[in-house]
Amino acid sequence: MSNEPILRIADLHVCIDDTQILKGVSLEIMPGEVHALMGRNGSGKSTLANVLMGHPAYEITGGTIEFLGEDLAEMEPWERARAGVFLSFQYPQAVPGLQVGNFLRKTVQALRGDDSPSAREFRQELNNAMSELDVSKQFLGRYVNDGFSGGEKKRFEILQLLLSKPKLAVLDETDSGLDIDALQTVAKGINASMGSESGCLIITHYQRILDHVNPSHVHIMIDGEFVKSGGPELALAVEEKGYEWLS
Amino acid sequence: MPYSELEEPSRADHLWRYTSWKRIHPSGQFHEVPKAAKATLSLRSLEEGGKTDGVTLEVASEEDLERLAVSGSSDISTQFLRAIADGDAMVLRVQRKARLDSPVQLDIECEGDICALHLLVDVGDMAEMELITRISGNASWVGILRQGRFGDGCNFNDVVINQIGDGRILRTDGLYLGRDAQIRCGAIGSGSSRCKSDLRYTMDQSGSSLKVNGSILSAEGMHNDYHVEIFHLAPETYSRLNWHSACAGKSRTIGTGMLRIEEGAKGADAAQLFHNLLLSKDAEADSIPELEVSENDVVGCGHGTANGPVDDEQMFYLSTRGFNEPQARSVLIAAHLNSTLSEMGSTVVHEHLLHSLTNDLSTIM
Repeated sequence: MSNEPILRIADLHVCIDDTQILKGVSLEIMPGEVHALMGRNGSGKSTLANVLMGHPAYEITGGTIEFLGEDLAEMEPWERARAGVFLSFQYPQAVPGLQVGNFLRKTVQALRGDDSPSAREFRQELNNAMSELDVSKQFLGRYVNDGFSGGEKKRFEILQLLLSKPKLAVLDETDSGLDIDALQTVAKGINASMGSESGCLIITHYQRILDHVNPSHVHIMIDGEFVKSGGPELALAVEEKGYEWLS
Repeated sequence: MPYSELEEPSRADHLWRYTSWKRIHPSGQFHEVPKAAKATLSLRSLEEGGKTDGVTLEVASEEDLERLAVSGSSDISTQFLRAIADGDAMVLRVQRKARLDSPVQLDIECEGDICALHLLVDVGDMAEMELITRISGNASWVGILRQGRFGDGCNFNDVVINQIGDGRILRTDGLYLGRDAQIRCGAIGSGSSRCKSDLRYTMDQSGSSLKVNGSILSAEGMHNDYHVEIFHLAPETYSRLNWHSACAGKSRTIGTGMLRIEEGAKGADAAQLFHNLLLSKDAEADSIPELEVSENDVVGCGHGTANGPVDDEQMFYLSTRGFNEPQARSVLIAAHLNSTLSEMGSTVVHEHLLHSLTNDLSTIM
């Protein structure tokens, strides 16, 4: 296991349309670590996820983000993806007309370039991932996120996570809107994607997914700042007492 | 009414607002009906070893003309195309109850300076078939008139691809749907410098269903003017028009729709939607859906239109999956056209259409 952090964020300040959202966030994720980020709606959690992926609407006004020692802020979103950063969206975009099977094949080709699997190897890999997540083959003929239920969207994001094999997975409220069975399936996918050389940042409102995906660290964000960090017990305390005591 | 007795249409007319008759007439001289070369037609199964049993292509008889060439009696395009075809017409006949497992392709090759075809479509009752009609060639002016009827209870997919070179094309359809006929019509445009296309469907028997899809690719200085009219004359008729265009370069793309529900068409259900993807600052797109509803007892009747560039959030989503900007853009343009293309027929037809459009798509990406 490497001693170099996968992600190192130092004193990050971010604004959108002249409104300051993140006000000095610092975070370090080491290989093999799963960090959970909790906070109320509007606290800045999704902003952090989007900034890590390079959404053009957000402006970094201070601080640094390093990914495997490289300046992440200098990279285009597609370069970040190819370097090994993956974002599971809270609200993934629908793309009518783009078939899921075709999209996944193109995604793997874009991410892996010359190391892309052959058509046969890809099919095998895809079958394994779909079986892990209980996704039927009919799914491949549908259009990306078009008419998907909330649960299907989240499952599809995790299917992409499994095929992308990222070094850093950022999961933005992947557990929201899932029933118990779907939650367990999605958690199984998240665990399967984690390795000793990769890291994960799970953004969530609820402690329940942390019963299935054991975080090494838990952070609480309020008004664009990390107000408290700790172990899994912190998530249990938030579940029980809410956020008031942390303000 | 023959062409010689008709007057030149005014630009104030909805149908001629964007493409004047002068601009689409071969010489621009209203009274002239120039001599035209005949298009070359051939029929084949789309799949190797597939059959075309039950489908014939033959010279139309007087009886065929009387029975099938009934649309557009006072329409200038229809009458001009009949005049320029000089009384010659071919008929594509599908036997009653014919059932073809493989799609059939009709190739219409248009060469010479001016080239015209009057084609009658005669689909027998309860026939089941998919037809792809591909118009190609390097004629400088092409005129295609299709008239006919889809028989009672038939199940027919009818896709027309315009892939002619740089010439101009005037295309008019006047098709009638039989009782309970289930029809999917597709229009794919990726060729010609100027296209004026008037597609008219009449649902004069009860229980028929019509889905019209368009996938139009406009690039460089192309001018694509499509007009689709759907008439609901009989009860319990259903129609959907879904028209997608991708407009690049300095192209001009027009989509106008007329949805008419006549009194007595009780339970009619109709909708039309135009969606234009604008890919350059110089490309122009106009969509004008119109409704005329004279029956109170309808299930629904709606229309909508949307023009806009490639969606930023979709671009971001794809970029987070490793697609650089040109790749993401190209995938989204293809998806936009594919969402209507995929509705035109079976998987086999869809694959064929995708393949035939691949080269054309590269011209705007």
